[in-house]
Amino acid sequence: MTCTLGEVKNRADFIIYWGGNPAECHPRHFTRYTLTQKGKFLPRGRKDRTMVLVDIRETMSAKAADIFLQVRPGKDFEMLTILRALVKGQTVSAEAAAETGLTLEQLQDLVNRMKAAKFGVLFFGMGLSMTRGKHMNSAAALILAAELNAYTKFVAMPMRGHGNVTGADVVMRYTFSYPFGISLTRGYPRFNPGEYSTIDLLVRGDNDATLVLGADPGATMPKPAIEHLTRTPTIVLDPKVTHTSRLARVHITTSVAGISAPGTAYRMDEVPMPLRPPLKSPYPSDEEVMKKIVAAVQKKPAWYPVTRTGAQVT
Amino acid sequence: MLRITGGKVYDPKNGVDGVVQDVCVAGGKVVASVDASARVIDARGMIVFPGGVDVHTHIGGAALNFARGLIPEQHRKARPIFHTPQCRAGIAGSTPTTFATGYVYAGMGWTTANEAAVPLISAKHTHEELRDTPIIDKCCCVLMANNEIILDLLENDEFERAKQVAGWQVWAAKAYGIKAVNPGGVAGWKWGKDCKGLNDVVPGYKKVTPATIIKALADIADQLSLPHPIHLHCNNLGAPGNYTTTLETMKLLEGNRAHMAHLQYHAYGGDDWYTMKSAAVPIAEYFNTHPNLTCDAGAVLFGDTVTITADGPWQHLLHELTGRKWGNLDVENETGCGVVPYTYKEKNLVNAIQWAVGLELMLLITDPWRVCLTTDHPNGACFWRYPEIVRLLMDKEFRKEQLKAFSDKARAGMVLPDLDREYTLGEIAIITSAAPARTLGLAQKGHLGIGADADIAIFNDVKDPMEMFSYPRFVFKSGQLIVEEGEIRNSIEGSQFATRPDYDPAIEDYLRPLFQQHYTMSFENYPVTEECVHGLEVHACNACVSK
Repeated sequence: MTCTLGEVKNRADFIIYWGGNPAECHPRHFTRYTLTQKGKFLPRGRKDRTMVLVDIRETMSAKAADIFLQVRPGKDFEMLTILRALVKGQTVSAEAAAETGLTLEQLQDLVNRMKAAKFGVLFFGMGLSMTRGKHMNSAAALILAAELNAYTKFVAMPMRGHGNVTGADVVMRYTFSYPFGISLTRGYPRFNPGEYSTIDLLVRGDNDATLVLGADPGATMPKPAIEHLTRTPTIVLDPKVTHTSRLARVHITTSVAGISAPGTAYRMDEVPMPLRPPLKSPYPSDEEVMKKIVAAVQKKPAWYPVTRTGAQVT
Repeated sequence: MLRITGGKVYDPKNGVDGVVQDVCVAGGKVVASVDASARVIDARGMIVFPGGVDVHTHIGGAALNFARGLIPEQHRKARPIFHTPQCRAGIAGSTPTTFATGYVYAGMGWTTANEAAVPLISAKHTHEELRDTPIIDKCCCVLMANNEIILDLLENDEFERAKQVAGWQVWAAKAYGIKAVNPGGVAGWKWGKDCKGLNDVVPGYKKVTPATIIKALADIADQLSLPHPIHLHCNNLGAPGNYTTTLETMKLLEGNRAHMAHLQYHAYGGDDWYTMKSAAVPIAEYFNTHPNLTCDAGAVLFGDTVTITADGPWQHLLHELTGRKWGNLDVENETGCGVVPYTYKEKNLVNAIQWAVGLELMLLITDPWRVCLTTDHPNGACFWRYPEIVRLLMDKEFRKEQLKAFSDKARAGMVLPDLDREYTLGEIAIITSAAPARTLGLAQKGHLGIGADADIAIFNDVKDPMEMFSYPRFVFKSGQLIVEEGEIRNSIEGSQFATRPDYDPAIEDYLRPLFQQHYTMSFENYPVTEECVHGLEVHACNACVSK
């Protein structure tokens, strides 16, 4: 259960950020969408909203929060589960609550506020989705928001970043049904995160060449993955010199999307935004380079048997 | 150039019903004759249909793409589409990928589809998906019945300005028509509420009711002379006893043109889930006597699917009823959307009634020109299951066989066991092609007269209609051979149809400040530019509307 950011701007009187530091990582989030904007139904802006920050340390974002709840590291899942129990009116022992580093009163107060909100929203960042529990934490956060809809309007949204990662996710879904971790080796899309996701492929050394588009795995991925990139042919399309381009066999310099190349970027809420480049670049766009590569590859004969009659059987 | 010869032609618009005659094609159009050098397709022992037209389907857009992400377990079981020199890889199943959608529609002999629900703010995304949907021609309807700018104007009795805004929105979305989903109800859902009755005040407003919105949008579609009338998903979808709401809505629309979407979901009697029964008879009786209305069936078939609708409150209820996964996506100031995977089961009373009502409506509505075959894909069933419905309509013995699977209680709630009507092939050609083309106002589609687009499906004339309509022998799109022997032989790009109603361009000056206040993007980024729509074909707004 999610929504576009305009809904938050116009309606959200109760905002939770969990495991994220928007003040430093998404610096325009407060001012453009969530906190300080005057909304259609919240004419006084910040005064009409309550903001809660849940994190393991007091970051810059805590200054903007009305309530800061410091959860013990790695106890997010426990805290979410207790909140779900309290939402349903179940009894939770004080000891169980203490596990999370917070008191039962604090948690009960949070639940009361969530239920009393007219329109609540839970933004969760990598501090929740990439720490102990990982996707189980994200699932718990989403289920908490879903269950709150029995009492009031409540939505949840991941705080995505890193340029147009949402756009890649969207396009993969409509072409292949799945957002990432896709293998086309059998001629149709198969999905298995952990098997076909990039890091796992590279660490196992399954692929014998890599094409890197708009990413810098050389800076962020584990050492065995980077070593595989160095060992095998790696082709990078990037406007700048990056860690990955330094270790690549081929680096094709491309123009920067949004500055000198047109296109579409997707916001974290999957709203598409047109990119209108103000400048011209001597370099080709990623799209132009990819089209040339695809055209060259298509000239080669197919490596798989091509039947001309009869339907293919799976 | 092409001459199709020896086939039995079904072209209801031109009064041809199973006559053996030639169809000639040149330049992508049907022509009177071609010279001897034309390729000859020997269609002896086959039937020749105009390509299918789907008046209501969900094949691209943010909501569908949201659903794709929610059901990987269904994709794993679904039929894969293999990469070939002609085709891109994909997956069919309940939410086919863009490329697969084009191949599967064309593979069944359907060549035009109307994506029925597009929020303006993500229309750009929808057009990008439709661009990647090959072969078929596409158009879409823009969601308006919960758009707060329009609702605010109606609250202040500013109908004229609402009309200008609506005209602007249709063109800004590069849409073809106006869609209304649960008018007022989705706006209410933004506060966790709904609008079930036509005269309930919309939550957050003082005076606007669903009735105000429906009437206003129907008037707007008529006054703008849009080729397709208001495309209406009524209030109170899916609830037992909701047929009264539907009847009231149809009465409200007297004097307007209107298309009632997936009428099956709006034709239930009974008081609760345990006493639910069919109310197809009162709905069809009213419908039969009111030629201003058209509808599509929204039929249900048993099996797994995923339900996707802008009707957010209904989806929350469905999630609570079934305990299945739930996705909800509210779109700022415009609409909402809910996604719940669903399995229609024969043993379930409600599902059995739904299955029957879809068929009953198609059998009870006497004029096939006003009812179109749909399943509200993927809500009632996936579009690639249409041949199953064709068989159910054409074969009463087969229907009787199916009815045995239900409990006595379920059978008692249906009228289907008493219906002996069987569709003829000519009538199937109407409900799958000629009628939806006419309803959409697509003059060049749905027939094989001279000047029509050469979208042609040729089927083996076999006894079992399901087998016949599942695997066409040949499919032509714009005169090009697409399918032969059950294989895609050629993948071309289709067009996208849009309309440009007359509106006062000064309306942008009114919209701009409102927009900056309520939205989170700049006004300049909001409309879809013409360059973004691949194969754009702008149709005139000149529908003849009796005032």
